[in-house]
Amino acid sequence: MQIKVEGLKYTYSPKTPFEKVALDDISFTINEGDTIGIIGSTGSGKSTLCQHFNALIRISHGKIFVGDMELHSKKLDLGVLRKTVGMLFQYPEYQLFADTVKDDVEFGPLNFGMPKEEVGELAKYALELTGLDFDAVKDKSPFELSGGQKRRAAIAGVIASRPEILVLDEPTAGLDPQGKKEILDLVKKLKESYVKTVIMISHNMDEIAEYCNRVIVLNDSKLIYDTTPRELFSNPEKLKETGLEVPHVVAISSMLKEGGIDLGETPLTKEEFISLLTRRLKCEK
Amino acid sequence: MREVSFGQYYPSNSAVHKMDARVKLLLTIAFIVMVFLVKSLYAYIAIGVFILLTTLVSRVPVLKVLKSIKAIIFIVVIMSIINLFANAEGKVLCSWWIFTITDGGIITAVNLALRLIFLVMGTSLLTYTTTPMELTDGMESLMYPLKLIKVPTHDIAIIMSIALRFIPILMEEVDKIMMAQKARGACFDRGGLLQRAKALLPVLIPLFVSAFRRADELALALDARCYNATPNRTKYKKATLAIRDLIATLITGIFIVLVVAINNNFWGLY
Ligand SMILES: Nc1ncnc2c1ncn2[C@@H]1O[C@H](COP(=O)(O)OP(=O)(O)OP(=O)(O)O)[C@@H](O)[C@H]1O
Ligand SMILES: [Mg+2]
Repeated sequence: MQIKVEGLKYTYSPKTPFEKVALDDISFTINEGDTIGIIGSTGSGKSTLCQHFNALIRISHGKIFVGDMELHSKKLDLGVLRKTVGMLFQYPEYQLFADTVKDDVEFGPLNFGMPKEEVGELAKYALELTGLDFDAVKDKSPFELSGGQKRRAAIAGVIASRPEILVLDEPTAGLDPQGKKEILDLVKKLKESYVKTVIMISHNMDEIAEYCNRVIVLNDSKLIYDTTPRELFSNPEKLKETGLEVPHVVAISSMLKEGGIDLGETPLTKEEFISLLTRRLKCEK
Repeated sequence: MREVSFGQYYPSNSAVHKMDARVKLLLTIAFIVMVFLVKSLYAYIAIGVFILLTTLVSRVPVLKVLKSIKAIIFIVVIMSIINLFANAEGKVLCSWWIFTITDGGIITAVNLALRLIFLVMGTSLLTYTTTPMELTDGMESLMYPLKLIKVPTHDIAIIMSIALRFIPILMEEVDKIMMAQKARGACFDRGGLLQRAKALLPVLIPLFVSAFRRADELALALDARCYNATPNRTKYKKATLAIRDLIATLITGIFIVLVVAINNNFWGLY
């Protein structure tokens, strides 16, 4: 399912002293199968943009198409849209509320009118996908879980309704390196099963470089780049103007270049970096 | 959610905004007392003109002040209806079964409605033009006499300002949680009253959890910075009386005299 954004504009509290333009004339297309990163400095409008994808913010100017659903239309079926586009908020653990973990995970699928018999299975599958032991946690209160477990349970609550498109707003914020990797690997695993398109907001360029095939850069409510990570990170100077960093491997290879070791290409992952470097060192011998 | 405008500070640079919060508080109290003592319709018209002029001077959009009435319109209507039938004095205008409408009833009903409306307009003008911080500082300062009889006025003020500060934070929180639950298919505007109340549970529970968490964190942060309400804390921004406060007091004073005169038909206008 394709997502098409055309001339999207959004202003918070229009016509008041608190008026704030958050999105200014944004247009781009996300194809089925993309893992697309959305980056930009804080306050650039990333979250505002993503909240448009499942109509949590209704469109005031411009158009968005998700498959054949028109998000700007008044007759939009919100239930169908929100089942198709799953949204994981920053710190999703704060949305837990039910008596048991199982009830909480089943909240979404039941709201979307999925049959009761199936919902139990969906919840079990989702919880196990996130790495939780279903039998151990299903009857526990979500508030008894540890921080990391809470986040997993919350993620399970979003993915249980089998969204085709998954939007993640800073999914790894506040996690340790191990936890970050586990969440991203989970996203990868989901992408191999029923999730077809992933949209990911992140401040971590290493994650963007490693997991995304496309990247969109917002700066001051405007879309300034729509390209591939390799293309984007090959021009670190341009990126610096927007206050963003490059991934660590890119920073290291440009330092190597300054020191006289030119790797030729821009590496995006550790593995790429190591293979480029060994190739280069072998050539030298 | 963030559009809830009732009593939210409206930034501007007007003379009313710059007035001392203590003076504004006292004048508002005087205004309210006056509103509740006045009986004549002509006096109400004068009050209406006064509040309109004050609003214009404060540069708060008149529409915004009128909107604050919307929040209490339900109460106003109910109270007026009760009073309409409860007061059976004066000439009977029409009567049906146990209900009788008299001109006395109509007058009390209109009086009550106008009083409530002016009350809300006056107080919301105060909160539109005064930041919560100024307001609590002003109250603390006005409560000074109580301090002499060992009432912890500073503690009361700090509790009040924390409570006020938390309102927008909690609103933002409600916003976020509602969005997260909507994304999971929750629906807050469908079904009957009971169903709607039940639909709020997935918002209220996380809200309470986070409110307690925040309260805990705030208490720790206050402790970590050795906060205590020592008797003589100094203020970063000291409120001082200026000429404009004197002028505003004079104008309001003259106006009150005027309204009392109209109310007692001093000039024989009616
Ligand atoms: N509910 C709101 N009401 C008013 N203004 C808002 C609201 N939400 C966001 N804004 C403003 O809109 C702008 C864009 O906010 P947004 O949350 O989309 O930024 P972001 O790119 O997600 O930032 P971050 O990286 O910090 O999450 C910001 O300047 C913010 O202050
Ligand atoms: Mg954000």
